[in-house]
Amino acid sequence: MTDQSFDVSRRSFLDRVLAATAAAGVAGAAPWAVTAANAAPTGRPATTAGDRVRIGVIGTGDRGRALMRNIAKTRNCAVAAVCDVYAPNLAKGREVAGASVPAFTDHRAMLDAGGLDAVVIATPLDLHARHTIDSFDAGVHVWCEKAMARTIADCGAMVTKSKSAGKVLQIGHQRMFHPTYLNAMKRVKAGEIGTITQIRASWHRNNSWRRKVPEGADDRHINWRLYRDSSAGLMTELATHQLQVGNWFLDAVPTRVIGSGSICFWKDGREVYDHVALIYEYSGGRKFIYTSLLNNARYGCEEQIQGSKGSIEPELGRIYAEVPPKVLALQRMRQDVASGQKRAVPIGGATWFPELPVTTPGESLGWGEYDETMLQFEGFAEAVRAGKPLPGLLSQAYLASVASLLGEEAMDRGQAMTWPPNLVAV
Amino acid sequence: MTDEPGTERFAAMGTRVELHRFDGGADDALWAARRAIEAVDDALTIHRPSPATAMNEALLSGQAAALDDELLFDAVLAAAQGHAATQGLFDIAADTRTGASWAMVSFDPQSRRIVAERPLALDFGGLGKGFALDRAMAVLRDAGVGSALLTLGESSVAVLGDHPLGGGWPFTIPHPEDPEQELLTLELVDQALSVSATVGAGTHAPERAAITRPHTGTAVAAPLCAVAVEPSGTLAEVMSTALIAADDVAAAQLLRGRAASRFRFRFDLGPAHRPHPARTLAA
Repeated sequence: MTDQSFDVSRRSFLDRVLAATAAAGVAGAAPWAVTAANAAPTGRPATTAGDRVRIGVIGTGDRGRALMRNIAKTRNCAVAAVCDVYAPNLAKGREVAGASVPAFTDHRAMLDAGGLDAVVIATPLDLHARHTIDSFDAGVHVWCEKAMARTIADCGAMVTKSKSAGKVLQIGHQRMFHPTYLNAMKRVKAGEIGTITQIRASWHRNNSWRRKVPEGADDRHINWRLYRDSSAGLMTELATHQLQVGNWFLDAVPTRVIGSGSICFWKDGREVYDHVALIYEYSGGRKFIYTSLLNNARYGCEEQIQGSKGSIEPELGRIYAEVPPKVLALQRMRQDVASGQKRAVPIGGATWFPELPVTTPGESLGWGEYDETMLQFEGFAEAVRAGKPLPGLLSQAYLASVASLLGEEAMDRGQAMTWPPNLVAV
Repeated sequence: MTDEPGTERFAAMGTRVELHRFDGGADDALWAARRAIEAVDDALTIHRPSPATAMNEALLSGQAAALDDELLFDAVLAAAQGHAATQGLFDIAADTRTGASWAMVSFDPQSRRIVAERPLALDFGGLGKGFALDRAMAVLRDAGVGSALLTLGESSVAVLGDHPLGGGWPFTIPHPEDPEQELLTLELVDQALSVSATVGAGTHAPERAAITRPHTGTAVAAPLCAVAVEPSGTLAEVMSTALIAADDVAAAQLLRGRAASRFRFRFDLGPAHRPHPARTLAA
């Protein structure tokens, strides 16, 4: 992509975000996107290197390096340091960042070295809270990968520390910046799918999730997602994204969750479930029904947002109107006979068949041709500069992480878990 | 039973069935007619273990099958008669993937045995609904019902006796791709009607197989709609299917002398070949 075409697609992306959020009700439902898109530097040259928000990256594994590439696309951020305890990942991180960028094997050393405005944390889940709090103590702002932390208490501690330190804490939920999702919200606010009573979401994959452990490396370090000390598995790595979508579109948090989890297929010594199925109950009888598994990918990743007038599938980027029930010719004929009227019965149309899924093509919600992760970083940088978080964002992330961890607890205990009453106010 | 007096609605044969009685009699006859249709479904279904699946398993493994089930035997007999009546155009063994056809089947009604010279399976999809209608109509007749309308889906209809307001039962057949356009208007009395098409929403039904032209072993690609009005549901199904499977010459033979009861519309030949906006059949 040339610089010019990049600028065009970037401008188009921002325009779409702004267009979606300009609709009635959307700004209130996605204030972070409005602020980020309005603040995103446009139509002017990229900020000079010296003006960019200087970011230290803690954790330069696959995800961390992907984030670094997105940071490189922004107009207002720059990677100023990298850190990883695992030498091969650090070496790869340096390749992405450039040899001139300082590299560290200890995050405290990186923080002590100074010269940073913020950090990006892409480490195993159980380290998020420590790395976040250490960073706040060092006086820098924090962008942290989802889920927030390994425990609900740690999630709350991160929020509390952010407030007491007066620093921005932003969690990586890129769907919240995606034009398709924002357009979906716009259509919901316009009443196009009626009252949402259920969201059916899934994230199904067909792979073990297990990485090959290089010689000399530790399995629990390389495959941290598979062990309970460091991860809640599918719940924190995948479900948290979709629980955020659920809370967002239902405009509420769950009242209760029930669920069942099992190590059903990959019996390879892992400790986290490879099959989860949960029902999150919301006020008014609404539900978020979730499944995730690792041995069948047919239904992939999707949220089916179901209302009385239609459905939205944002991952597919489509909205579907409910198909009105057909007026049956024979019912009309009976009425005719009762009223003494003889009319021809239209017959021979489409043969009715059982109530299988409706396969109408629906309508496109519009695609984001551009990686929305870019916008969340540009928004983060503007929040860092202003010393003020993007509105509404942390609350969404916090509540989604709590929901994912509460779901894990419901499955572990085999009992319904009610929404915690003592959460930290965001 | 449904709550509405004189009406029985249920799912069978892969579609919605509606049985309407108009002479004010008791609903017991409708219930018995329903059981007759469900019995045909049980015998001919290929979606769960049935006499038909047992027969097909035998034929697919190269073995002869004994047709001990009365309904299955009658259905195979009807299929054989339909094959003969249509010069082979109606063929429940035809399969474009394997090239199989009824010509490879040996069916002996006396011994009630069937065998094929190569592995194949029989598909009653083109006959089952009409066959089931006939069974239900027989039950209603035996029960003395004087006025009834039966449908399996919206492509297979049978009427018993006069319309409740007198005279024939009027029906219109819409264009399969444009329900607002009327292909045909006709009236039935003690007859069955079957509609087959290669276009329209009905062709998108799950697991619906394309109609095969047995003489070439290929699926019919032309945009066609055929309507057959016959004394029985089975024959109506056979004829509407055969009219689709036929090429233009063979179709002309099936239509000869039956201008008032068999119709074949082809939608790709331009305005000169478009159907008449309406044709009325005084049955």
